Amino acid sequence: MEVEERDPVSGHRTTGHEWNGIKELDTPVPRGVLIFLVITHVFAVTWWFLMPTWPLGTTYTKGLLDVDQRAIVEQQLVDAAAERAPWIDRIERASFEEILPNEMLMSIVQSSGHQLFGDNCAACHGVDGRGSANYPDLTDDDWLWGGDVETVAETMRVGVNTEHPESRVAQMPSFGRDGLLNREQVNSVAAYVYSLSNPDYSTSENIDEIEAGREVFLTSCAACHGANARGNQDVGAPNLTDAYWIYGGDLQTIVTTVHGGRHGHMPTWDERLTNAEIKILALYVHSLRVEKP
Amino acid sequence: MPELFHRKLERSAIGFVLAIIAVASVGGIVEIAPLFTIDETVEEAPDMRVYTPLELAGRNIYIREGCYACHSQMVRTLRDEVERYGPYSLAVESKYDHPMLWGSKRTGPDLARVGGKYSDFGMSRILSPREVVPESNMPAYRWLARNSLKIEDLPLHLEAQRAIGVPYSEEMIENATRDAYGQASPGSDSASNVKERYGAETQVRAFDGVATNVTEMDALVAYLQVLGRLTDAAFEDTAAPEEPPEPIE
Amino acid sequence: MVSTLTTNERLFALIISALVSICGLALAAVGRQDLLAAQGFIIMVFGLACVFAVAQGFYEPEPSKERLSSYYDDPIKVGIALAMAWAVFAMFIGVWIATLLAYPELTFDQGWASFGRLRPVHTTGVIFGFGGNALIATSFHVVQRTSRARMPDQLSPWFVLAGYNLFCLLAITGYLMGITQSKEYAEAEWYADIWLVIVWVTYFILYIRTIARRKEPHIYVANWYFMAFILVVAILHIVNNLAIPVSLGHAKSYTVWSGVQDAMVQWWYGHNAVAFFLTAGFLGMLYYYLPVRAQRPIFSYRLSILSFWGITFFYMWAGSHHLHYTALPQWVQTLGMTFSVMLLVPSWASAGNALLTLNGAWHRVRDDATLRFIMVAVVFYGLTTFEGSFLAIRPVNSLSHYTDWTVGHVHAGALGWVALIIFGSFYTLVPSLWKREHMYSALLVEVHFWLALVGTLVYVFAMWNSGIVQGLMWRTYTEEGTLAYSFVDSLVAMYPYYIARAFGGLLFLLGAIVGSYNIWMTIRATPLTSRREIDVPQSGAVVVPGE
Ligand code: HEC
Ligand code: HEC
Ligand code: HEC
Ligand code: HEM
Ligand code: HEM
Ligand SMILES: [Ca+2]
Ligand SMILES: [Ca+2]
Ligand SMILES: [Cu+2]
Repeated sequence: MEVEERDPVSGHRTTGHEWNGIKELDTPVPRGVLIFLVITHVFAVTWWFLMPTWPLGTTYTKGLLDVDQRAIVEQQLVDAAAERAPWIDRIERASFEEILPNEMLMSIVQSSGHQLFGDNCAACHGVDGRGSANYPDLTDDDWLWGGDVETVAETMRVGVNTEHPESRVAQMPSFGRDGLLNREQVNSVAAYVYSLSNPDYSTSENIDEIEAGREVFLTSCAACHGANARGNQDVGAPNLTDAYWIYGGDLQTIVTTVHGGRHGHMPTWDERLTNAEIKILALYVHSLRVEKP
Repeated sequence: MPELFHRKLERSAIGFVLAIIAVASVGGIVEIAPLFTIDETVEEAPDMRVYTPLELAGRNIYIREGCYACHSQMVRTLRDEVERYGPYSLAVESKYDHPMLWGSKRTGPDLARVGGKYSDFGMSRILSPREVVPESNMPAYRWLARNSLKIEDLPLHLEAQRAIGVPYSEEMIENATRDAYGQASPGSDSASNVKERYGAETQVRAFDGVATNVTEMDALVAYLQVLGRLTDAAFEDTAAPEEPPEPIE
Repeated sequence: MVSTLTTNERLFALIISALVSICGLALAAVGRQDLLAAQGFIIMVFGLACVFAVAQGFYEPEPSKERLSSYYDDPIKVGIALAMAWAVFAMFIGVWIATLLAYPELTFDQGWASFGRLRPVHTTGVIFGFGGNALIATSFHVVQRTSRARMPDQLSPWFVLAGYNLFCLLAITGYLMGITQSKEYAEAEWYADIWLVIVWVTYFILYIRTIARRKEPHIYVANWYFMAFILVVAILHIVNNLAIPVSLGHAKSYTVWSGVQDAMVQWWYGHNAVAFFLTAGFLGMLYYYLPVRAQRPIFSYRLSILSFWGITFFYMWAGSHHLHYTALPQWVQTLGMTFSVMLLVPSWASAGNALLTLNGAWHRVRDDATLRFIMVAVVFYGLTTFEGSFLAIRPVNSLSHYTDWTVGHVHAGALGWVALIIFGSFYTLVPSLWKREHMYSALLVEVHFWLALVGTLVYVFAMWNSGIVQGLMWRTYTEEGTLAYSFVDSLVAMYPYYIARAFGGLLFLLGAIVGSYNIWMTIRATPLTSRREIDVPQSGAVVVPGE
């Protein structure tokens, strides 16, 4: 029916059709393609026999190997736990005093702690633990609740102001908003607190205000922050005489703090992290501080 | 000869069209239909609850802002994922998710288990991320705390959800607006009803830190806080290191 | 444009445009409490603009009967212009979001400018705006030429083109405002989805009617692919987008599918959007412009049959490779993986068929940047499909999934295959459509080629690296069996690659701008060809289909 036509380059016949100048050769499917086709199909069919594959109404073929992705990962987790058991056990059982000088355990603390801190704590305390406005720096010497490793671990376990039954409770009252102090008093006590860490602030002009602030401080604040304003770790009240601030040490922020109060919230890690992980993190936090010049 | 047959086929436009439809339909039918008939596809979880109106509104904000473009909500059955994020996700956990938000890209971490990980305030701070984590490339979502949440039409939303199979009761639908307000306003009259209707574990808080208004931030944080916590099923028989979260409050 | 419509068609056009603007007005009214109002307003303005355009030309003289002895090319010309405009816009957004990942503060505290909202603007803009307009334009061209028949009427091509671009416009303005269904590549909301169904059905009918007028009894391969593209996209679109709107006055809707079933439907759609939008349609393009430009017959008709039906059948099973190790039952994952592997055969068969077609024309590939665009596109097509089948293997996917490796794969396909084949086809098509001797500047085609190639390579290599680094960092364990890196560590490692990617994308974008300029100047400033090619439909009796 069609006129036979050959392509001069390849020598193959055309199909005899033509679409606006386009022609096709009738070249047979190259052998390689067929081989390739067979190989991939053999692979696929083999796989279907080995693995769960074909749906059958209300069930499916389970495959000769009877594998299940969930069973596999659960086994892997069990194996992983067994692999870690030797040192996990030691960390769990040993006291912090025993772990600290142990180089092997401390190197694990370093590597594992880095990841745990990055994935759990960095969102608030920063990747390097230095905190930011509203979140305390964990690398300095100023601690709300205490910086020894046990206390840090305990802080992590119960959290601050959480729903954990043993939660630490930190409540900086809102003196201004709740009318405990009037505006003038708030300003003066703030000026006083500010002057504690900025001695140059006190001049002959504002000395009266600062003195008045000191009075207010002794009556309203000393109960928590101590008469010397050096804080009290039993109630999580920070030291107000040093250069470390959670919310900020400029006068304006101090006024805001005294006016509105503060109610920091540190989550509890009791349920999310294992005991060993909490210990590792406490040691890791400890090491962050040690490293600081 | 198949080839001759094909020469015939390619002379009939209608035949060709029908052939394409037939050949292209098989795969989808075989893969999709059995997902409705094989029971074990979606696990049993009697404790599974529906989203509260506030959480649903938060979910819609999550969708609106395109969080799914960077965050998956699917812990795969791989050791490193379970160890990093928590128990692998079960199908039942997204049973009421229209649509699902499993995601396809992790520019940020998986969020399937983020519920309860941080305090509310921590969560809302994450939404202006570089103040805390300077390394982050997540956009800052400051406007969420400024915008007040639209809650009047939540009954319609719940009704639409019920029409496609989410078991919202008549009472839930009627009170959707009030419940949304109540969940973000602890101490208000509407607050206690929320727990009554959605279970004692439902969190009632000022999610954005301000109790006097219901903002989009309230809704979004309420949603994030319930991620992975609609049911404890995933914590039950998995070898995950964690224990099921205790009821909060 | 209007002058080429018959009076009847003008009347219809007026009625349709008026109906569209009334629908827009109605949506704006019922949705006045909602963002829907803004969308209704856009529809109304669009409809009014069409009313105005038609009305202006309404009393122009009827087109002469002679028109019937030529092809109807006006909509193709407009389609090409739209495709290039979308390309520049959407790739600019691509460069922007690439930059956002490295410099996240570029959002100006504005919702619309944040990454999550701009990303779908980019994907929709490139795939549907750029890719879709290019497909519509070239399919109109190919179907007329290979059928040697004019399209059956003058109005429906315009309806398809304008309606389709209205859909794109609604989708993209919607995402910026925060209207989205969150289903990847199907984010547009219910009213836009419904509108697309109407447009698409018209497109299908138009296509089939043109084919029915063909003068060559056999349907050419390019049309097989275009038909598969139109049909299957319709099926996918309808099933995946089934949703219930909150009310007729809300832009928001809830997908009827939920959880694991929704995941499967979504990726059955998502993967086959790749298969039938980004692959089948463009193979149709390839099957026309490659032999035309290379002036060679297709290497093997029989191989074409094998690849066409292989692609149509196997692709539809492969969607579950987007859900490996998830809560989707494992049996579906096995199917997805094995079919993806088998899929490589027809994919490479198409690529091989195209490359072997170039035998006898390699000297042209060397000298002609346009043909080189097409050739390199085919190479990237082969590369991407190989990579795709590889990524679909479960253990490989456990590493690559969720990482930039997927993004690298996407853009190897999207830039290397989709965009290059479009540019190659346009450079072939533009001079012939506008009856010019050649493109305005061969040098600029060459410049565009190298910008595109280098841009693609920089992009893809950056993402391969970052994806693999990311995947490895997530699963690296210390000797003691604890995870070595936190998530943020992996994020920090990404920054150099994100910057490199933005740079590669910028090169690619510059190429597209150069290309647009060249096309513009070809139309404006290049002399008409003196050659008299016979580019008209075949007259005579219409062959009855099936005969
Ligand atoms: C949601 C934010 C958030 C996250 C996440 C977080 N913290 Fe905290 N953390 C805080 C806040 C807020 C405080 C201060 C509480 C207060 O005001 O008393 C704090 C306090 C602490 C303290 C007490 C500091 C002191 O001076 O006594 C330690 C130790 C600590 N965090 C360690 C950690 C560790 C380790 C992790 C990770 C496992 C972590 N935190 C995760 C918010 C957070
Ligand atoms: C009931 C105990 C209590 C009393 C009384 C109290 N504070 Fe506090 N204060 C705290 C606690 C606890 C914190 C830490 C709150 C937190 O971290 O969330 C704190 C924090 C502060 C801070 C913020 C420190 C920083 O690092 O940013 C300032 C400033 C401060 N108090 C000043 C005062 C002043 C001035 C008064 C008296 C007017 C006062 N406090 C009274 C408990 C108290
Ligand atoms: C451009 C990508 C991007 C977008 C869009 C994005 N995020 Fe993130 N997100 C990140 C990255 C990266 C991190 C990890 C670094 C950090 O903590 O900021 C993150 C972290 C988080 C976290 C902390 C998770 C954890 O376990 O520590 C939460 C919660 C979160 N994002 C929620 C959201 C929500 C809600 C949205 C949308 C409103 C959103 N993200 C949009 C990239 C993004
Ligand atoms: C100028 C060139 C381009 C640049 C700079 C660019 C950049 C980007 C970026 C930054 C993303 C987001 C990736 C992420 O979330 O991490 C993306 C996603 C995407 N782009 Fe592009 N793009 C370009 C061109 C194109 C073209 C031409 C196409 C298609 C024809 C395309 C299709 C896509 C698709 C489908 C995605 C989604 C990928 C996924 O979900 O995995 N892009 N692009
Ligand atoms: C044989 C052919 C192909 C196979 C088997 C294949 C397979 C895959 C796989 C396994 C993924 C990753 C899924 C994941 O881990 O999330 C993927 C993603 C993707 N591929 Fe391909 N691919 C093929 C061809 C192509 C081509 C030609 C393109 C053209 C542009 C393309 C575009 C995409 C896109 C856009 C995605 C991203 C989807 C998303 O997550 O948003 N693919 N593909
Ligand atoms: Ca994606
Ligand atoms: Ca849609
Ligand atoms: Cu795919």
